[in-house]
Amino acid sequence: MVDTSQAQLDAVASIEHEREESARRGARAARRQSLLQKLGIIIPFALVLVAGIILVPSFLSASNITNMLVNGAILAITAYGMTMVIALRGIDLSVGSTQAVAACVAAVSVNAWGLVPGILAGIAAAIALGLLNGVIVTKFRVPAFIATLATLGIYRGVALLFTDGAPVMITDTAFRSIATSSLFGIPVPFVLSVLVGAGFWFVLEKMRFGKHLVAVGGSPESATDSGINVKRIQLIAYVAAGATAGLAGVLLASQLGSVNGSLSTGLELQAIAVVVLGGTSMAGGRGNIVGTFLASLLLAMINAGLNLLNVPSFYQYIALGVLLVFALSVDSAQRAAVRRVFEGRVA
Amino acid sequence: MTAMLAVENIVQQYPGVRALKGVSLSLDTGRVLALVGENGAGKSTLIRILAGIEQPVEGSLRLRGESLRLTNSAESQAAGISVVSQEFRLVPELSIADNIMLGHELTSGGVVRARNTRNRVQELLSTLGLDLNPDRLVSSLTTGDQQMVEIARALSRDFDVLIMDEPTAALNRAEIGRLHGIVRRLAAQGKAIMYVSHHLDEVFDLCDEVAVLRDGILVHRSETSELDEQALVEHMLGRKPQTFERAVDAAAAGNDPRLVVDGLRVGGFDEPFSLSVGAGEIVGLAGLVGSGRGELTRALFGDRAALAGRISIDGVPVQVRSVAAAISAGIYMLSEDRKSEGILPHLDVTENTMVSRDPKSVSGWRRLVPSRRSERAVFERLRGELSIRVPHGGQLIGNLSGGNQQKVLLGRALQSGCRVLLLNEPTRGVDVGAKLEIYQLIRRLAAQGVAVIVSSSDAPELAAISDRCLVYLAGRQTAELAGPDITEDNIVGASVGQVAVGGTHG
Repeated sequence: MVDTSQAQLDAVASIEHEREESARRGARAARRQSLLQKLGIIIPFALVLVAGIILVPSFLSASNITNMLVNGAILAITAYGMTMVIALRGIDLSVGSTQAVAACVAAVSVNAWGLVPGILAGIAAAIALGLLNGVIVTKFRVPAFIATLATLGIYRGVALLFTDGAPVMITDTAFRSIATSSLFGIPVPFVLSVLVGAGFWFVLEKMRFGKHLVAVGGSPESATDSGINVKRIQLIAYVAAGATAGLAGVLLASQLGSVNGSLSTGLELQAIAVVVLGGTSMAGGRGNIVGTFLASLLLAMINAGLNLLNVPSFYQYIALGVLLVFALSVDSAQRAAVRRVFEGRVA
Repeated sequence: MTAMLAVENIVQQYPGVRALKGVSLSLDTGRVLALVGENGAGKSTLIRILAGIEQPVEGSLRLRGESLRLTNSAESQAAGISVVSQEFRLVPELSIADNIMLGHELTSGGVVRARNTRNRVQELLSTLGLDLNPDRLVSSLTTGDQQMVEIARALSRDFDVLIMDEPTAALNRAEIGRLHGIVRRLAAQGKAIMYVSHHLDEVFDLCDEVAVLRDGILVHRSETSELDEQALVEHMLGRKPQTFERAVDAAAAGNDPRLVVDGLRVGGFDEPFSLSVGAGEIVGLAGLVGSGRGELTRALFGDRAALAGRISIDGVPVQVRSVAAAISAGIYMLSEDRKSEGILPHLDVTENTMVSRDPKSVSGWRRLVPSRRSERAVFERLRGELSIRVPHGGQLIGNLSGGNQQKVLLGRALQSGCRVLLLNEPTRGVDVGAKLEIYQLIRRLAAQGVAVIVSSSDAPELAAISDRCLVYLAGRQTAELAGPDITEDNIVGASVGQVAVGGTHG
């Protein structure tokens, strides 16, 4: 006869074994994933930095460093909001147009009403546009890709109409000095990008909202059944994307001193590239703010390096496209590596 | 005494289907009510209504005598109804702790109190007897542990009513025992519990009362002690159950081997797999989680890398480097995960049967532009042969019951022209009636000369259909059972590593 008690003991032993085994596999998968996630940004970052120092004349000059930090910071601020949206399996293609509207509104308002009202007006305009994106996606149920592709066109039109297609000179010197001034030798936009990034990181990692965001991005059905208001989370993310695009737009206006309606054309490609390169998966889930920050600096280094080498700017488009493909393949490789650990699949 | 929760004359309608036709049912404090019924009887619909996911067309809910309206799952939870759903509602990217507390996090000012959360979850896990780190990501857990986390999640809320929809589907015996202990304790604390299960022994072991749904109608309700298993099955089916005559085809074992696997090495297992299956033979693979039987079938289907070894079909060596290669070599597999790796939910049943159709069976340009008419004719023939219950060939497969979906998939396997058929858990999520039909179908397929491998965790199933049964433990074959030795006891014994039993049991 089968000795049941012995059989059960054996079964329990085998379960314990299986549990240890799965804990080991889980740890291994997590290690591999975080390694790939970090290497995906740190290796290119280090390579480009070293290559820049060796190959590019005056790469480490004070003016170039400031230039890279400011440009990287403005891109990073734009991309923080995009990180949230992409973590929710959404996308915001309208960031460039939103930024143009914010910059133009800020420029005109600064000229009319002065520094603080001008900054607030620019950011408020961008928040309104982000809200509109969110409403179109959540209330009218238009897929994010199509919705923001449409608003990309609409907002660009608004920016051009608002400025009559002509450049707007900013006369307020205090406003123009924001982007160029420094705090303890560090450019103000860079300080801002670190502060805003820290805020986003805190919200995503430590707050209830962040957990809900991962839940909606990772498994929308589970989120709904857990009583999470999915649409509210999505709406907030699109508003955040608008707000950060607007803040970056104000900084850009300050940096340039003169804005026009075709500002930041094609920005969506850069923003998406740095988010994905930073380790946030297009398949949704966890947003990686630190990665987005590093990837923005990386892109700024590449652009500055190519400029200093007098490479025609057309090549920068190619470099950006290549970078995006690289980032997406790292993203897929990462998920495949985890799958392999668990399932040993070939495909 | 007023019931804790009562549903009154609930009617639910989907396009073309009346899922619930006026069901009234009440749950009392301190009692465990079993809800049973075949798939499609309306159990899931009723649960979805109680969980606030669906709203009934007619009827009302009462909680402690007071009328209750639920329009979303948050309201259901707020009313004190906690649901363990059959499909996991877990977020793979979040930790165990975050998943358990999702939607009711311990926070101050919107910031999650990490240490409190961790302690609370640790406590909960240890009452469930789970030794898991709360910070581990859910994606790294085994299915059984995910199920336990899903249960922990339901228990973490404040609730008066607990609804469990097949909570033990992915659990092993020891875990099931522990879960039953917890359910009894909750009932003793005065919670009202509804327990849905396909396992009748659980119903009799755990539940005080039993309610039977059939075709959207409550057909029976009584104390469990007033019924026996036979009577319960009759209520579920509405007729006497058919018994499956185990007709072992002894001759089949002597047939020429159709599939021969020699020294097949699969990653993660030390010993190579070797086996052979004759034409018309049904070979069962048994074993616990980690036994390697699932990995073996995947390796044979080219879905998992084989590191070394030889596979031959009818004496001809074949290479299965990919699924496409396996299919063209005449091997076909049905996955245990019918929903995500089997059915194509947006295609109709005809299209579902045709996706793997042997291209050699159609000629010329019809391979590129299949004739809808000939496909329909083929499906009509299959529908009869496999007794697939659908109104017409244009029905979407996603709307069918598990048993009918499985029959459609068997039809797909047939259309691939396979000579070797690998079946994983062929009757998981299939109700009692359809189970027997599927066994008969498998037997008929074998009779046509197909070599069939059935990998299953259901020992009675293997005892019922296999001509020969191989039992594995951690990748090692511990027994080869044949004829009258294929009994549930022998299979279970060998899967935990007891020495192979010779001869018949007295």
